[in-house]
Amino acid sequence: MNQPLIDLQHISKSFDGTMVLDDLCLTVKENSFVTLLGPSGCGKTTTLRIIGGFESPDQGKVLFDGQDITHLPPNKRQLNTVFQKYALFTHMTIAENIAFGLKIKNKSKSYIQDKIRYALKLVNLEGYENRSVDSLSGGQQQRIAIARAIVNEPRLLLLDEPLGALDLKLRQDMQYELIRLKNELGITFIYVTHDQEEALTMSDTIVVMNQGYIQQMGTPESIYNEPENAFVADFIGDSNIVPGIMIRDELVEIFGAKFACVDKGFGNNTPVDVVIRPEDIDLVEPGQGTLSGVVTHLIFKGVHYEMEVTTPDGFEWLVHSTDLFPVGQKVDIHVDPFDIQIMNKPASEDEEAIGVNE
Amino acid sequence: MKTKLSLFKKILSDFYLVIILIFLYAPIFTMMVLSFNTSKSRTQWGGFTLGWYSQMLSDPNILSALYNTLLIAFVSALIACILGTAAAIAINSMKPVSRTIVMGITNIPMLNADIVTGISLMLAFIAFGISLGFKTILIAHITFNIPYVILSVMPKLKQTDKSTYEAAMDLGASPIYAFFKVVFPDILPGVLSGFLLAFTMSLDDFIITHFTRGAGINTLSTLIYSQVRRGIQPSMYALSTVIFLAVLILLLITNYRPKQKKVLPGADSSSLAAGSGPEKEGPGIYSKLQKAAMGAAAVLIVAAVGFVSIKNYSLKHSDKLYVYNWGDYIDQEVIELFEEETGIQVTYDMFETNEEMYPVIEAGAVTYDVVCPSDYMIQKMIENDMLAEINFDNVPNIDQIGPEYMEMSRSFDPQNKYSVPYCWGTVGILYNTKRLEELGVDPPDSWMDLWDPALKGEILMQDSVRDAFMVALKGLGYSMNTTNLDELTQAKDLLIAQKPLVQAYVIDQVRDKMIGGEAAVGVIYSGEMLYIQEEVKNLGLDYSLEYVVPKEGTNLWIDSWVIPANAQNKENAEKWINFLCRPDIALRNFEYITYSTPNQGAFDLLDPEIQENKAVFPDMKSLTNSEVYRYLGDEDDQVYNELWKEVKSY
Repeated sequence: MNQPLIDLQHISKSFDGTMVLDDLCLTVKENSFVTLLGPSGCGKTTTLRIIGGFESPDQGKVLFDGQDITHLPPNKRQLNTVFQKYALFTHMTIAENIAFGLKIKNKSKSYIQDKIRYALKLVNLEGYENRSVDSLSGGQQQRIAIARAIVNEPRLLLLDEPLGALDLKLRQDMQYELIRLKNELGITFIYVTHDQEEALTMSDTIVVMNQGYIQQMGTPESIYNEPENAFVADFIGDSNIVPGIMIRDELVEIFGAKFACVDKGFGNNTPVDVVIRPEDIDLVEPGQGTLSGVVTHLIFKGVHYEMEVTTPDGFEWLVHSTDLFPVGQKVDIHVDPFDIQIMNKPASEDEEAIGVNE
Repeated sequence: MKTKLSLFKKILSDFYLVIILIFLYAPIFTMMVLSFNTSKSRTQWGGFTLGWYSQMLSDPNILSALYNTLLIAFVSALIACILGTAAAIAINSMKPVSRTIVMGITNIPMLNADIVTGISLMLAFIAFGISLGFKTILIAHITFNIPYVILSVMPKLKQTDKSTYEAAMDLGASPIYAFFKVVFPDILPGVLSGFLLAFTMSLDDFIITHFTRGAGINTLSTLIYSQVRRGIQPSMYALSTVIFLAVLILLLITNYRPKQKKVLPGADSSSLAAGSGPEKEGPGIYSKLQKAAMGAAAVLIVAAVGFVSIKNYSLKHSDKLYVYNWGDYIDQEVIELFEEETGIQVTYDMFETNEEMYPVIEAGAVTYDVVCPSDYMIQKMIENDMLAEINFDNVPNIDQIGPEYMEMSRSFDPQNKYSVPYCWGTVGILYNTKRLEELGVDPPDSWMDLWDPALKGEILMQDSVRDAFMVALKGLGYSMNTTNLDELTQAKDLLIAQKPLVQAYVIDQVRDKMIGGEAAVGVIYSGEMLYIQEEVKNLGLDYSLEYVVPKEGTNLWIDSWVIPANAQNKENAEKWINFLCRPDIALRNFEYITYSTPNQGAFDLLDPEIQENKAVFPDMKSLTNSEVYRYLGDEDDQVYNELWKEVKSY
């Protein structure tokens, strides 16, 4: 494989004595869509700003296509950023906004005209050249911000929660737009968000971050289906995380009941965390499942019902099912072996700090 | 019920509006009307004229003060704008705690009393050996303007999204380019309103300018102030009218905005109200219009400034003379003639009272070569060794001064070594012949006639301690320089007894009130008698005003030229005095000032009609009992003041 486009090496950064990034290493391949995902304060935006050149790391190096750009100012970097609050220049027209970077590069007038038209077409805002920024809706403004960035033909586009200020419907539309743009342009995207659904929808690779550390990095599917620790499991989608004991390979005991699973290599009689997604729990008639309980809560969610099943030990299981079980009904819980995800318990307090605190 | 209530509310709010408008604009309107009044009087309409306007335009004092005012306002606002904006940016990027502290520090000078700022700046300049002049005023104005700029730029800066600056950098702009292309347009409305605010504050300022200015530098405010003694000239009304209209037009231009195309909800709510610009409209035609207007205004100011500066500063002299005189107390052409004949460059400066002049000479921050104080003040200056002896070999024209005036001067300059008389006059009674006839009272010839019960409500007295006591003391047959407590107590009782008869205690309104026929008799300085009598003639009034020096004698006052001990150009000062003693020059000055001249040569050149005008040139015999004010010392001054307070508060 060729070398990565972005290579962050042992980056550390603290603000006013608070550690924000701690020895972070990350590589981003050319032409990928990488999402930095995590709760606010996890260091994802700082990472992006270090790549963009708006912050410099206390330690470590930033390599761009093999070149050390750690101390290069933002205006000298071959990348562009789309900001959370659009950051359009309100005293300029749309066309002037888009032409801003090209004028600095002394492009010819006709080139600039063509580029403006092309960019506006790309973001579906043809004919908006002479409009003022304030006459545009939030979604339109964000599309202009993207157009303004991509006319410069960057090799890398950084997007800092670009859809954060938009309402739900608009956000979903824009997600598809961004995927389309990415495919049409062949630019590498690094995308920052705290919205796990957004990350799962758009990315090739998701980097889950918390408190300055990378928790897990992988495809959306692997992140969702095989969270490596309780934080990731909890942050990505809804999960039932329960303590269990790995009796031997492929057998785990939860609240006294034994479940078959597919995981191996945890040793015998080892305490572990068990993750079971709510949609992976099957509710069956009493006596037919592994663990018994009572339905204590029921909400209709449209696609499915959301239920809570309380087992005798007091744990409330979150269950998504298309079958209805009314409140008060006794049920049994059944889980298929491949739907059970076994995780190591945090070995030290330090590691726990990285974990489930959200 | 409801309609009645809303009607009542409407009436109330209309009433409120009218009251506000009257309070705000009636004074300005009055001034504007008076600027077209042929008569100098503030109460009589003498017909329409544009004369004051042409006089304003031809008065080099006014023009140079206007030039100074505009130049200082423009340059100080500009520099304050640059420094203030830079400071605001720096402060904005500080951490919250230090930002609060620094903002507090920059705000204090704004709340500080002007007089404290003025005095401390003056002291600082003197302490650091910076001579007071144009540049010290400029520095002072920049100093007090910076906080206003910071205050109006700061909110704009806070509103500005930091990420637009980063976005510009991200798109390849260098930090400086990004600032001027992206941040500056956003804060421009704040910078502009800061500039206008600073410009206006500078234009307005009197106190700080007063303390930091040096010899020969006047702004409009200090110029107007220096004219208070002889009454503010109507050309000043004309000037004020022009300034008011200019500011009004500027305000209309900058605030004119067509209906906004679209305003985002709450988009503009946090912007500073004063002069907030077109930040939300986008680059429509309006902002171009405003830019054009701003540009035009700037060009106009610069052009005006340039024009006047060429006019004023075309001459360069090597020889200098610093003159300190009363406001409006010389024919301007006399200065020009002197400069032409001698090649000496005159820096001419003005004061309003003896008491204001004295500390300036004493402090020596500004060294003047020749000064024109009054009698008692000359005595005080001699006693304090502040004057240099005049070398009369250099003043051959001294023989043009009537010997009787040299004799009069001996009361404060016993050997005639320090002073040369310039103007003199008396205090007497001005009376309205027709009014007295109606009241059946004979024309007065004694101070005691002011105690005639028939004149109840018809008497105008001078509102100053020495002049009021002079009337009573002379009436009683005592010296007006007495320090005998017994005599003073009698005079005080006499003044208290007179109080029910007195219409008002006033100073320079005696002139206007008498011309207006508001009172029958008034105690007045003889200086403006020629003007008063002419004015009565011009207005076609059906009464005449006559002046009499009472038989008991009166206050004889003399203003004389002296040379301060620390003068730098003493020989030039003597040339100046000699020049003013030349009969043709003294005549010119007399015709301009109209105060009695002690110059016999000039007197001989006058029309016999004026020579015989007893109001201007009273018989010397009638003045035998008259005296010149003497400086009594601080203690006795205090006694006078205490007694006068008793009279006023009785």
